[in-house]
Amino acid sequence: MPEEFNLSQMERETEEMLKIRYLTKHNTVFKRTEGGFVSLSVGEESYLRIQVMRMFPFMEKDRFLSVRSVGDKSKEIGIIEDLEDMEKETIKLLREQLNLRYFTPVITKIRSVKEEYGFAYWDVITDHGECRFTIQMGGNAVVHLTEERILLSDIDENRFEIPDVGRLTPAERRKLDLFL
Amino acid sequence: MKQLKIPEGIKAILMREEITESQILYKAETDMDPEGSYRDGLVILTEQMLFFFQETKRAERVHYFKGYGSTREMYANWERDWTVSQYKVLDIENMFIEPQVACSTLTIRYRGIDYCIAAFSNFCKHQVHRLIMTWEGRPFEVEEEIYCPTCGRMYPDSATRLCPRCTNRKTAFLRATKYFKPYRLKLVLMLICILAGAGLNLVWPYLTGMVLYDRILAKNQDFLIRLGIAHGDFVTALFLAVVTMLAVKITLLLLQIIQGVFTAQMVTGVVRNMEKDIFRVMGKLSISFYKNRQTGGLMTRVMSDADRVTGFYFDCAPYILINGFIILASVTVMVRINWQMTIVTLLLFPALFAISWYLRPRIWVLFGKRHRAERSVNSTVNDNLTGARVIKSFGQERLEAERYKEPNKGLLNAEIAISRQQNAFHLIYGGAQEIASFAVWGLGVYFLMSGKNMNLGTLITFTGYVGQLRGPMGFFARVYNQWADSMNSAKRMFEIMDAIPEVKEAPDALRLEKPKGDISLQNVTFGYTENKTVLKDITLKIPAGSMLGIVGRSGAGKTTIVNLISRLYDPVEGQITIDGIDIKKICFHDLRKNVAMVSQETYIFMGTVADNIAYGKPEAGRMEIFRAAKLAGAHEFIMGMPDAYDTRIGASGRELSGGERQRISIARAILANPKILILDEATASVDTETERLIQKSINYLVKGRTTISIAHRLSTLRDADYLVVIEQGKITEQGTRDELFKLHGTYYKLLELQTKALTIEHLPCSEG
Repeated sequence: MPEEFNLSQMERETEEMLKIRYLTKHNTVFKRTEGGFVSLSVGEESYLRIQVMRMFPFMEKDRFLSVRSVGDKSKEIGIIEDLEDMEKETIKLLREQLNLRYFTPVITKIRSVKEEYGFAYWDVITDHGECRFTIQMGGNAVVHLTEERILLSDIDENRFEIPDVGRLTPAERRKLDLFL
Repeated sequence: MKQLKIPEGIKAILMREEITESQILYKAETDMDPEGSYRDGLVILTEQMLFFFQETKRAERVHYFKGYGSTREMYANWERDWTVSQYKVLDIENMFIEPQVACSTLTIRYRGIDYCIAAFSNFCKHQVHRLIMTWEGRPFEVEEEIYCPTCGRMYPDSATRLCPRCTNRKTAFLRATKYFKPYRLKLVLMLICILAGAGLNLVWPYLTGMVLYDRILAKNQDFLIRLGIAHGDFVTALFLAVVTMLAVKITLLLLQIIQGVFTAQMVTGVVRNMEKDIFRVMGKLSISFYKNRQTGGLMTRVMSDADRVTGFYFDCAPYILINGFIILASVTVMVRINWQMTIVTLLLFPALFAISWYLRPRIWVLFGKRHRAERSVNSTVNDNLTGARVIKSFGQERLEAERYKEPNKGLLNAEIAISRQQNAFHLIYGGAQEIASFAVWGLGVYFLMSGKNMNLGTLITFTGYVGQLRGPMGFFARVYNQWADSMNSAKRMFEIMDAIPEVKEAPDALRLEKPKGDISLQNVTFGYTENKTVLKDITLKIPAGSMLGIVGRSGAGKTTIVNLISRLYDPVEGQITIDGIDIKKICFHDLRKNVAMVSQETYIFMGTVADNIAYGKPEAGRMEIFRAAKLAGAHEFIMGMPDAYDTRIGASGRELSGGERQRISIARAILANPKILILDEATASVDTETERLIQKSINYLVKGRTTISIAHRLSTLRDADYLVVIEQGKITEQGTRDELFKLHGTYYKLLELQTKALTIEHLPCSEG
């Protein structure tokens, strides 16, 4: 009966879901693929393409990474507790992937913020150059990750970050006053 | 719309490949590279080839995103060196966008291998999506109108198609006036009343000053002649003056009453129509409009904005007119009486208005701030009230109070800032007025003594007018008066504060640090209200480490039992003990630390997923949180969210499904690691597959704990060591599963019913 079959398969999947596997430099080999992605072999298993995600994207940049297979049935292959403990090549490779995945220009200077009719127009300088973007007022466009740290999402949900409000000049803080 | 022209450099490369512009099916701009930096690129699709051009060296340019001003600059100077990669369209097996957290990549499967072609911000996503649709041969509408036809700017929000620049405040003001149209006649009448009232107000100082003092008291004969009264009969003149004064006052009162009636009639009508319109429009808007906005914000829009708009029209607009008129007329009269004194009166006002004008934006910001602070306080309270049961059972009242403190402080600060600003306003205005009126008196007395065209009555009339200026000038200084409102809310809040908690901690409460987990109920009787008993004489013993299942129909009192064990209520009669100690004597902190509940009612508060999981153990490390989530089967869906454990959920964040919420509360219980675990219909609201998953986690969870499980589905209670059946507040059956089965009682009936239902569910023909 197919029902039964599915049941045992489901049980197996559940068991698997509850298990934790740690990936270390001793049990893994990460490689760059021809198409610009990353492959992984761990023990007996090998994956043509993997993706790496942060479990705590705002709080932990290099620790608690989840390495996952790619596709519709993406599942966790294992976790990396600390990227620093991996091989140098692996660190470079995975960090590149993380930089793209969590791409968020950091605002270093606020030139102007104008609020008009429910939208705020920002003119800022970031670590990736000068940016001008628009956010919607009244929604969740401005999120305080901590007291000092602000994450902005523009109307296309592109992200920008102010890592420390305290480090802005008083004039810049005044421009931000509406959001603090 | 404005679009990128193909740069000459790219044209030249295409030319070498013998491709002309007319062969291009679609082109999409990209603005990033796979290393995670901005870098311009262009994807070009033709019948035969897919090209990707990327600038060889990063150009220094301003990055414009949607909604921002002039797009002309954006397309200026695209003449750069390009690096090209190309792919045969015939060999492309698949082409798709892979979304990252805040950007995306374009991937193709080319001769069996995945290639990451290009990376781009969300700004370019639309174009790339179109490119893929072109490749798939799927049609799409030529170009959505995302640009304002008037000024050529992008609409910041294409769902509303509203250009913020072209719909300015003036038109909004005029548009609001349309709601007053049906009341045109009343409006005109009201305006007449207002003007008449203001005119009469102007007559008043003239009557009390110049007529009374300079004509009648000074025995001015010409005045009598003009009125046609007999020579010397000043008593009649006085009588006439008094009657006139009385008539003026009464007329003023009548005018006010008429005005009030008209206002009341119009306000209700206008507000109703506005709300109706807003509601209708909101119903029509697409779901994307709602996705980007908070429910709270929308509610404010419906509930109070209409009120506020009309409030402005009735409480402010007429008075701007009246007060403006009063000021203008008073000043005219004053100039005619004595222009030097008028100048002295008005000397300070231009400066005052300049100050107000300068401070205006500041006040605006302050009010916006307060509005937001209010909103966040409201959501916190809302959060808290809906989750009261869970808050209590995890013993986090103090943490909740802390959580309330933050937004509350924000609100307090906002209020203080506003008050400070308004006080400064009042002080400056009051001071200026006092100075002006002293100066007027001084100058007047000087004129009077030196006999220069000044009588006592004239002086009194003049100062009367100065006094009349006070109100209107003050009006212009303060616009927002929140006194009554705040007193009202304060009163409501005190009502709650003055209430006394029913369940109190004993003054000499005992610690219960490492309990075994023996629970016993002795003759427990309880009712939520005095005249209705829910539980009658319940006696139960649950040995440490075992699992008790409670079965019964809804409303039988199952949940009440666990509410009593976690001491959300105290029994009316009887005693509940843990390890032989009456729970009334155990301190709240220890009791709640050792008793955790997973119920069908899940409480998710505003905060990150990690915060929510660590609710019962705020000091938990990240590894612990991850492990708990993993064991609760929550890790997978959490990793499915872009911000994973840092995702903001709750009132203002992402919505979670019932099963997801349930798994978070299980993770919470795993992390809290209580000795006594209560499962109150923990899997009732989820589907069978999720239930199985949750059941697995629960099986892990119950190991080594005393567990009380309440369930409708008897299958959930498979692992229970002991079962009780509760009917109408009484235990009617108890024993192991086999014992109950043999009894052929309620348990047997329920089991039979559910087995039957299950069979029906699985009959293939039942679907047809």
